[in-house]
Amino acid sequence: MTAAVLPALSNLSTLPAAFQASEVNYVAVMPLFIVFVTALIGVLVEAFMPRERRHRVQVSVAVGGLLAAAVSIFWASSNLGLTMGLSDGSTNRSLFALAIDGPALFLQGAILLMGILGVLTMAERFGGVGPDAFTPSGASTPGSPVETAATRAGALTSEVFPLTVFAIFGMMLFPTTNDLIGMFVALEVLSLPLYILTGLARRRRLLSQEASLKYFLLGAFSSAFFLFGTALLYGYAGSVYFGDLSSAISTAPLAMNGLLLPGAFLVFVGLLFKVGAVPFHAWTPDVYQGAPTPVTGFMAACTKAAAFGAILRLAYVGLDTARWEWSNALVIVALLTMVVGSVLSVTQTDMKRLLAYSSIAHAGFILVGVLAFDRTGVGAVLFYIVAYGFSTIAAFAIVSLVRQNGAEATHLSQWAGLGKAHPVAASAFAFLMLAFAGIPLTSGFVSKFAVFSAAVGSGATGTVLAVVGVLCSAITVFVYARVIVLMFFSEAPAEKVEVVTPSAMTTFSIAIGTLTTLALGVVPASLLDLADRASQFVR
Amino acid sequence: MAQLLLLHLIAAALAPWLAKTLRTKAFPLLALVPATAFAWLLVVATDVRDGNLPTQRIPWVPGLGLDLDFRLTTLSWVVALLVTGVGALVLLYCTWYFRDDDPTLWRFTSVFTAFAGAMLGLVLTDNFLMLYVFWELTTVLSYLLIGHNPGSSTNRRAAMQALLVTTFGGLAMLVGIIAIGVHHTYSISALLADPPPLDAVTVAAVVLLLVGALSKSALVPFHFWLPGAMAAPTPVSAYLHAAAMVKAGIYLVALLAPVFAGAPAWHALTLGLGLLTMIVGGWRALRQHDIKLLLAYGTVSQLGFIVAIAGLGTKTAALAALALVLAHGLFKSTLFLVVGVVDHAAGTRDLRRLSGLGRRMLPVSVPAAFAGLSMAGVIPMAGFVSKESALESLWEEAQEAAPFPSIYGYLALAAVVVGSALTVAYTCRFLWGAFATKPGVPPTPITVPHPGFVLSPLLLGVGCLALGLLAPFESPWLMPYAVTLPTGASPEPLALWHGVTVPLLLSLVSLGVGVALFAQREAFARAQARVPALVDGERGFARTLRAVDRGAVETTAVTQRGSLPIYLASILLVFVALPGMAAVTQGRLPEVRLWDNPAQAVVGALMIAAAVLVLVTRRRLTAVMLVGATGYGVAMLFVLHGAPDLAITQMLVETVSLVVFVLALRRMPTKFTRHPDSPSRTWRLGLGAAVGAAVGVIALVASGGRTTTPVSVDFPTEAYTFGHGKNIVNVTLVDIRAWDTLGEVSVLVAAATGIASLIFVRTRNTRLSRATAKALPSSNAARGTWLLGGRTMRKEKRSVIFEVVTRLVFHIMLAASLYLLFAGHNQPGGGFAGGLVAGLALVVRYLAGGRYELDEAAPFDAGLLVGLGLLVAVGSALAPLAFGGTILETTAVDFTLWPWGEVHLVTSLVFDIGVYLIVVGMMLDIVRSLGTGIDRQIAEEQEQDEQQQETEDEPEELQTEGARP
Repeated sequence: MTAAVLPALSNLSTLPAAFQASEVNYVAVMPLFIVFVTALIGVLVEAFMPRERRHRVQVSVAVGGLLAAAVSIFWASSNLGLTMGLSDGSTNRSLFALAIDGPALFLQGAILLMGILGVLTMAERFGGVGPDAFTPSGASTPGSPVETAATRAGALTSEVFPLTVFAIFGMMLFPTTNDLIGMFVALEVLSLPLYILTGLARRRRLLSQEASLKYFLLGAFSSAFFLFGTALLYGYAGSVYFGDLSSAISTAPLAMNGLLLPGAFLVFVGLLFKVGAVPFHAWTPDVYQGAPTPVTGFMAACTKAAAFGAILRLAYVGLDTARWEWSNALVIVALLTMVVGSVLSVTQTDMKRLLAYSSIAHAGFILVGVLAFDRTGVGAVLFYIVAYGFSTIAAFAIVSLVRQNGAEATHLSQWAGLGKAHPVAASAFAFLMLAFAGIPLTSGFVSKFAVFSAAVGSGATGTVLAVVGVLCSAITVFVYARVIVLMFFSEAPAEKVEVVTPSAMTTFSIAIGTLTTLALGVVPASLLDLADRASQFVR
Repeated sequence: MAQLLLLHLIAAALAPWLAKTLRTKAFPLLALVPATAFAWLLVVATDVRDGNLPTQRIPWVPGLGLDLDFRLTTLSWVVALLVTGVGALVLLYCTWYFRDDDPTLWRFTSVFTAFAGAMLGLVLTDNFLMLYVFWELTTVLSYLLIGHNPGSSTNRRAAMQALLVTTFGGLAMLVGIIAIGVHHTYSISALLADPPPLDAVTVAAVVLLLVGALSKSALVPFHFWLPGAMAAPTPVSAYLHAAAMVKAGIYLVALLAPVFAGAPAWHALTLGLGLLTMIVGGWRALRQHDIKLLLAYGTVSQLGFIVAIAGLGTKTAALAALALVLAHGLFKSTLFLVVGVVDHAAGTRDLRRLSGLGRRMLPVSVPAAFAGLSMAGVIPMAGFVSKESALESLWEEAQEAAPFPSIYGYLALAAVVVGSALTVAYTCRFLWGAFATKPGVPPTPITVPHPGFVLSPLLLGVGCLALGLLAPFESPWLMPYAVTLPTGASPEPLALWHGVTVPLLLSLVSLGVGVALFAQREAFARAQARVPALVDGERGFARTLRAVDRGAVETTAVTQRGSLPIYLASILLVFVALPGMAAVTQGRLPEVRLWDNPAQAVVGALMIAAAVLVLVTRRRLTAVMLVGATGYGVAMLFVLHGAPDLAITQMLVETVSLVVFVLALRRMPTKFTRHPDSPSRTWRLGLGAAVGAAVGVIALVASGGRTTTPVSVDFPTEAYTFGHGKNIVNVTLVDIRAWDTLGEVSVLVAAATGIASLIFVRTRNTRLSRATAKALPSSNAARGTWLLGGRTMRKEKRSVIFEVVTRLVFHIMLAASLYLLFAGHNQPGGGFAGGLVAGLALVVRYLAGGRYELDEAAPFDAGLLVGLGLLVAVGSALAPLAFGGTILETTAVDFTLWPWGEVHLVTSLVFDIGVYLIVVGMMLDIVRSLGTGIDRQIAEEQEQDEQQQETEDEPEELQTEGARP
């Protein structure tokens, strides 16, 4: 849409001679289309389906739609190229809103598959009517009579499923868009549902609502920065398309740099906020802790995938020609992110906060791969995103099972001695911890190795980044090892902590997440190969 | 070779099951696995000697250069022999070490077998990455083995310490591997065949690799983890800390020595730290009372010695290093296994309580004596042969001054002599401590060990002797490695007797001094006690951990206390630092004209003053007013700039926001909680100013960056010719940029609906409560009253004058809003401004008469109004299509209306009417949700409070009792 409207508006003085229809390759956009339709169907189901069947139908619709979209990626992958727009014959510019290329489709597929696991964990009911992690009445004041009434009336929050699917749609769009405006739209489409989902936790609702508000306010700020930057870059290049931006940078006079650099920085602020890079990370621990645990897992895996996809496209397609101007700032951000993420994870006493800081550190490691500025870097980042995503969804799913008196036991001391009473869950979690630490034969090692070797191959800066990255890994090993020691080698607390038996859906998510972590550690070749083949951007 | 590893893996997988069914009988079965590998190594021995190195390549992750490449060189053959041979014997030994009812047997068997496999893989692989993978596997598995008995916190701490130190080293090594791999190759044989030039990257990589090796082999400053790891069961110590894991570091040093021995810092790290470790370890060993700990420090000392010799880089030294590795592996595992037997038999490892064991436990004390003599370097043991050859290599270095100046060679020689003397002393201490009959100590009661239990130490102990006696036959098997070293002459073969040489004399000196030290042990111990600990790696380690911990806690306390302002401040700081600074440094400022009219300066000053006062004030309402003042200032600037239309809109928007603020502020405390002159406010003031300045600069730079003609230059003519209006702003809204407006009003509708339903889920679209339908019971006002407030409001809240004026002004305001709507096309005004005025009129009615009055004035649903407006707007946009025009095309109609005169009607007015309706509806929504809604909430809460008070007044006892947990 934007493609058709914008040139028409900006060139009012010279009206286009004739209306030129935009070219859309429907097969290429099929995954996006299916997910969007799935979300709309979800809204209709919410409105018309009787309450007792709603949960089941919503879950089936969401999972079915996402699966269909994932399958359709196979067809889309043979239709690579720019689409949703037109080639301007007179100026020889290609004004396309979407870039269906390797990184985009790879990430779309990754987001879809991780999204399915996310939806399955969100659907966990533990025998109740609605999803267990979500409050039956999000708008009511915590502890108010309204809330009690809603609970008593059997209200359920099955709208989380369409919301999630909308978020997934935005996430898939995010790395696919080929212009700044589209990127902003995708950013908002993925963020707004997440703001809501964050505030819907059933237990510790005040914490959840506070998290939601903080996420929203800070997110709104960073979105505003993104827009501000977009405006400046538009002023610089006269276009919001990445292709135009890139060619403008190589031709525009130096005097215009006053627009380029602030614009680039501002746009990066918006994107780095989404991945939780330091110093835009402050929301991460609070939000990860406050949000319903399945949402946290979904958010940690999929948002990161989407946002890193967008960062890659911006860094490699849009602003690549001005790399020397902004890469130093990004190097500092990457260093800070790794150091702060790993050092601060040392002191955490809450499992979700610990995982939040771990996700910050991982964001730093991924950034190291982004800063390699070559195809191996892109491949490494893509692989890392998938490896981390599957592990983290499984990890948060396990966190949501560890309970004390029905509420999630997230304090570390509550996890003491878990290995004795619940060896299976604790072993799976310990294994995921090893993966986060990057121990060989887990996906974490392969991904870290791929990223660091790409960085070392890129030169001196990359080598410094890799060395710092390894030091930070050593720190995080301490953190994860401590969790393992706690689970297996410590005495259980006096008050009993149990691991509730999940439904088949959550079990499936945990199993798939853990097995993927193992498989990508033992036989990573096929995915590495795929990521490598998918590492070429179209322009 | 991969088959052997697979065998280990399968065995490890089956081990839990075997352990469950066979209990300790599973161990002999599992011992067959390393024994098989050992047998294979013997089979291929001649091939290795003759240089037909067995190789095997299996691609695994070719994309990363991570492949299952194996090859057997002399070096790996030697270490592999040790790893598999000792591994098999230790597993056999475990049969009697563990009890059948040990609940963790399933885990131990599995982990131990897996460890043996990983260790074998480590020495067999020909790929640096696989080396790292096996390296980390041994780390993780050894962690599980050390923490075998997790009950005690000492074990946990020791396991953690070992894990952290070795993982740290391993990761450092990984960076080194990557640096070499990315620039050269991941293949070990390729690297050895074609060594890279020693540039900065390679040297850094080598240093990192050495850090890994040193940490694994427990050299100073990483030496502390090994004694800590003695918390492990004795078989684990015998295997990991004598034969296998600690040898990994030596293996790496020996592997790299042929190509990198010339690198700067190489000798400082290997020889320097090695010899330092040798002395520190020996020194500490003499202070131990636990015989296992004594051995641990002895191991540290020996490892330092071997690393030093392996790192020397001459052919003689290489031969000596291999001999040392073999000798040390044999005697140290013997000694550890002996300790295990003694511990089981006597129930203690404290040498002050052990007494008279030697005679009573001959099957143990004899191999222990062999091993001890070997450790001390007494002829004819293996230890003597290897130490002789090591001294020879150092002597040769000192003579030839290659590869480094001879002064260091002599120093090293002296250090080795001192270290050897200490070794002799602690060997005596060990043998005496474990077996001697001590005066004044009653003979320790023992249980006689099972014959099988002593089999392994016996075999290994005899091995120490055999290897020494067979020394001349040993050399050809080790020589292929020695000749790969670039420096030095071809070494003399190993032998028991080279004649009376300097090394022999030095050996005798150290032996003599060592025995003397032991004889004078009490005096020496007193001397030792007075010397402060020189190198305390453990304290350094603990300190580092504490520093990280503390740093993390403090940083968290500062940056992560959940305070939104602080989070935001960090983002804003970056905003100022990056885009702001970039704009300042890179941007080109246009020529700045300070003002066109001095009045602008005055208004600007007022706005700045208002903005500063906002930060100083303590009342929320005042702050809102002051913020409003800045907005009105902007409106004034518009007026002064000649934009009355913008000014009107700005003025109205400002007023509406003020009203909204006031409505919402009712539910908040009147004052800010934070004291206005707290320090945080000061820095926020600074940050705010900086952000403002940054935005200002960016705005200036942006406007200065203009290179093309703005589109707006055509607007005046286009507005008149196509839009038929003289008010460019309005025509822009309803014609030139009508698409934007359409989009915006749609968003506005969605937002208004959303906000209203978010804030008050229940009050949206509910019944209207008109004043005429409701009367307060107390009031008996008659029907048909003009001022309806009397019926619904409490007396003290009413202001009759306000109500009267409101009623008088209301219709005038409505008329004004209609005027703005219709005049907007040519005069200042428009649908948006008109809608705001109408909305304000409703607000005034609400303020004067309360919610009933509002519903009286606007007896319809806000949603209806909004929807109608959207319908009108979209309808007018589409209408031209019916007449053959394009969407949103504007047509003007001029006609004469009798009492009015000339009428100039433009079709875009209909569009504007839509906008007008939407804005009025939205205003109504705001007042209903924020005004009426909050009113209801307050009323409900008051009722609740009253109820609560009633209930609280009654049961006073409950209150005092109510101390809930």
